[in-house]
Amino acid sequence: MEVGNYLYLAMILFAIGATTVMLRRSAIIAFMGVELMLNAANLAFVTFARIHGDLSGQVIAFFVMVVAAAEVVVGLAIIVAIFRTRKSASVDDVNLLKG
Amino acid sequence: MMTSTGEAVLFWVLAPAMVLGALGLVFARKAVYAALSMIFVMVCLAMVYVMQQAEFLGIVQVVVYTGAVMMLFVFVLMLVGVDASTSAVETIKGQRWIGILMGVGLGTLLVTVTARAALPETVGLDEANSETNPAGLARVLMSDFVLDLEIVATLLVTAALAALVLTHRRRLTPKIGQPERAAARMLAGDHPVNLPAPGVYARHNAMDVPALDPEGNPIEASVSRVLRIRGQEHSLDTDVTTLVATRDAAELTGDHGTDTAAERGGQNDDTDAATTEGEA
Amino acid sequence: MTPLIAAAPQFVQPEIWWTWLAPYLLVLGAAVVGVLVEAFVAPRARRSTQLTLALVALLGAAGWNVWLWVDQFAPTEFKAIALVNGSLMVSYFTLALQTVILVVAALALLVVADRSRGADDFAPTAAAIPGSDYEELARTKGLQQTEIYPLFLFAVGGMMLFPAAGNLLTMFIALEILSLPLYVMSGMARHRRLLSQEASLKYFLLGAFSSAFFLMGMALVYGYAGTINLWAITNGHALQVPEALVGGRPLLVMGVVMLLVGVLFKVGAVPFHQWTPDVYQGAPTSITGFMAACTKAAAFGAVIRIVVWFAPFIGLDLHEEIQVTIVIVAIASMLLGSVLGVVQHDVKRLLAYSSIAHAGFVLVAVAGVLPYDGQTFVFPMNSAVIFYLLAYGLATVGAFAVVRLVRESQGRGADAVTLGEATHLSQWAGLGRRSPFLAVAFSVFLLSFAGIPLTAGFIGKFTAFKVAVDGGLWWLAVLAVLCSAIAVFFYVRIIVLMFFVDPAADDTEPEPAREVVAVGALGATSDAPVGTPLAGEPEAGVGLRLSDELRRTSGGVTVLKGSVGSRVAIAVAMVGTLLLGVLPGPVLDLLEKTVNFLP
Repeated sequence: MEVGNYLYLAMILFAIGATTVMLRRSAIIAFMGVELMLNAANLAFVTFARIHGDLSGQVIAFFVMVVAAAEVVVGLAIIVAIFRTRKSASVDDVNLLKG
Repeated sequence: MMTSTGEAVLFWVLAPAMVLGALGLVFARKAVYAALSMIFVMVCLAMVYVMQQAEFLGIVQVVVYTGAVMMLFVFVLMLVGVDASTSAVETIKGQRWIGILMGVGLGTLLVTVTARAALPETVGLDEANSETNPAGLARVLMSDFVLDLEIVATLLVTAALAALVLTHRRRLTPKIGQPERAAARMLAGDHPVNLPAPGVYARHNAMDVPALDPEGNPIEASVSRVLRIRGQEHSLDTDVTTLVATRDAAELTGDHGTDTAAERGGQNDDTDAATTEGEA
Repeated sequence: MTPLIAAAPQFVQPEIWWTWLAPYLLVLGAAVVGVLVEAFVAPRARRSTQLTLALVALLGAAGWNVWLWVDQFAPTEFKAIALVNGSLMVSYFTLALQTVILVVAALALLVVADRSRGADDFAPTAAAIPGSDYEELARTKGLQQTEIYPLFLFAVGGMMLFPAAGNLLTMFIALEILSLPLYVMSGMARHRRLLSQEASLKYFLLGAFSSAFFLMGMALVYGYAGTINLWAITNGHALQVPEALVGGRPLLVMGVVMLLVGVLFKVGAVPFHQWTPDVYQGAPTSITGFMAACTKAAAFGAVIRIVVWFAPFIGLDLHEEIQVTIVIVAIASMLLGSVLGVVQHDVKRLLAYSSIAHAGFVLVAVAGVLPYDGQTFVFPMNSAVIFYLLAYGLATVGAFAVVRLVRESQGRGADAVTLGEATHLSQWAGLGRRSPFLAVAFSVFLLSFAGIPLTAGFIGKFTAFKVAVDGGLWWLAVLAVLCSAIAVFFYVRIIVLMFFVDPAADDTEPEPAREVVAVGALGATSDAPVGTPLAGEPEAGVGLRLSDELRRTSGGVTVLKGSVGSRVAIAVAMVGTLLLGVLPGPVLDLLEKTVNFLP
């Protein structure tokens, strides 16, 4: 088997992730699609690191995980904030526009 | 470079499973199923990393992605309510088919690009990993990527601060505990302890008969406020001994149980009423 | 200093040149200190502490950058200075661009900090559920979300790092550092919070989507080169591409295009513009101004860095692919921005479409990149783009600062309640009479957007289009001029509306039938008649215009005074716009230095 097969896998996963973001209307699932895209990129990094015999690809993947974690924190906080807003039926434009 | 047969077998087992899992993200009806298939893909990815001489990354993948990130997702899904959808928000407008078409197009494009590129001969990481994989990573991390390490730290501070801003609600009203409640009750001039229980010398249903103070006078407040307002309380017009006699008789005939229960009920009612009044 | 190639087998202790890193440390350090201020300083003193800290950090970093420019940079030896093993690359271009970002951000900060009566843009606390009792309580208690200042500084720090990144990972992390605070801040508007939160989510999802593309692009470039250090990837523009790498060309092309997707999203260029109008409209207006001006500047820095490092690629000749991509995006942005701008009725959306058009105009200059002949480094677009971004940044911050002072109001006199911004164009009629200063300032900014002579915008457009012409793309420059002409229409329309349309008389003109119905409905629901008179100008009520179903409230329009800071910011932006238009010489001469060096 060629090492390049891992790259095809990464590209396919990336495309599936992108499709998820474009198709799913639920914010959480769309966001999971973004995570899948990041993971696919990580797989590409790891594979390229192996091809080039160079560890920096793995270090980059490591950084990407940190960045993804930070992104998830902020993204889920935004989603939860919106959810709390929507849940309360008392949302009233007149109230909103005060003060 | 051709890989070993073992790796090839594992790849052909994992890769289709991963693609199927990823497709679950697109087609799963419920968000939790999507999250679970995502976790599956990530665990498989961890195995793929280990297979590709990235042992450290494989473990970090399990710890960070499946352990922290996806758990956070599942947690938020549960918080939001498994059935709730946030889709009322118009995030991205788009037709279903256009989306699928674009996705397939993107995939084809990327795969074609990869196929057309003549990659250099695979070097492998045996040399770079000669001193174990984490040691090799540490060398690179601490030399070429020191600055990135520092700025990624500020990114984490940013994320924490941002999440805090969106979710932390400062207490604006003073906290009300037991001492505050008691003090408020005293200030309002309320009865300091529970009101006396009614019907010490009960005749029929003790709840509606006021208790007596040591001097034998009825205590008005011992009867539930509700009964008093309704006018259902019984005044103590009968001689105390008669009452006692009646009570003994009642005890003998076995009415006692009901009486006490009623008494207790009445008492409880009263205490509740008092508390509510105190709060009001 | 020669950057070191990544993945050296032995541990190479990085050299850290503190002098050069000081500006970043100052801004990001102040942001971290700001977080601590939140924890340890009494609530009453927080805002002033944070504001002082932030202003000192921004202006200090700008001053430091100037000092580096004047005193430290030794251009004869270095094309660009690589810091910390090549993680950052500093040149005249980055120093100038960062200074522009810092100065414009300082102006924007003055606007953001405006907490004068009724002019506060931010929710008392972003965590409160809109419309809840808790929010009401927070509002009456006068709570302020002072965490905005550290978030603002983090964003600025990311913007400084973004165009200075010497490797793609730094660029990616900087992209995230500048984005995350912006996502959050755009969800913090005080009025119309639902719209604001939606804007935040939309911006976040699309932003994360585009940064995933950036990341994949990075992976492909890494796959081609085996390193992500720009210098190492391109061999410092000096050597032939090693034989082993030539086969990877498809990866490189695709990778660079995907990198551009990620960066052009931040710029807001078509087809990555969908978020722009919604986010510009939903975000707190002062943040919109900051975002429009500074993010655009930082992102264009990154665009130019990518284009200049990859387009004149020797041996592989990526020039054509990249140029075609940029040209297509530029044309689409200019056309869509200008044409859709004409049909907008909301000031904020109009400025959003105008910003899309401006992204196109800047890209016209970027498209003029020349293939590298192997001997000289000449990038005429560097100075043109920086000047354009400075002109655009000043005008944008100023324009949004004006927009946020024109408010809807309900009630009369002392009972008057200030509501959200009066963003509908019809509500701007007659502004010139009620608030001459704001109207004049806004006109100057609009004229600068339009590129009318004697404003900075004209010089910016002139130099930008000239680069395209010099690069052989005269037809693109002609197209850009035509698009500018379309755009002039809607800018001038607002100016006419502000100065020459009488609000009262205008009331009867459009759609009479609808008007009657609307006024009837108004009579039933509210007894606020025809606007709130301004203190000192009793006759200056403005007519109610209900021809637009988007209008949410029935009230008048009031013009707030705003804090001293925001008025200073408007004045500085106006004077700057005019000065740069009348006497652009000194600045252009200074920027001339950026042309001969790598960005």
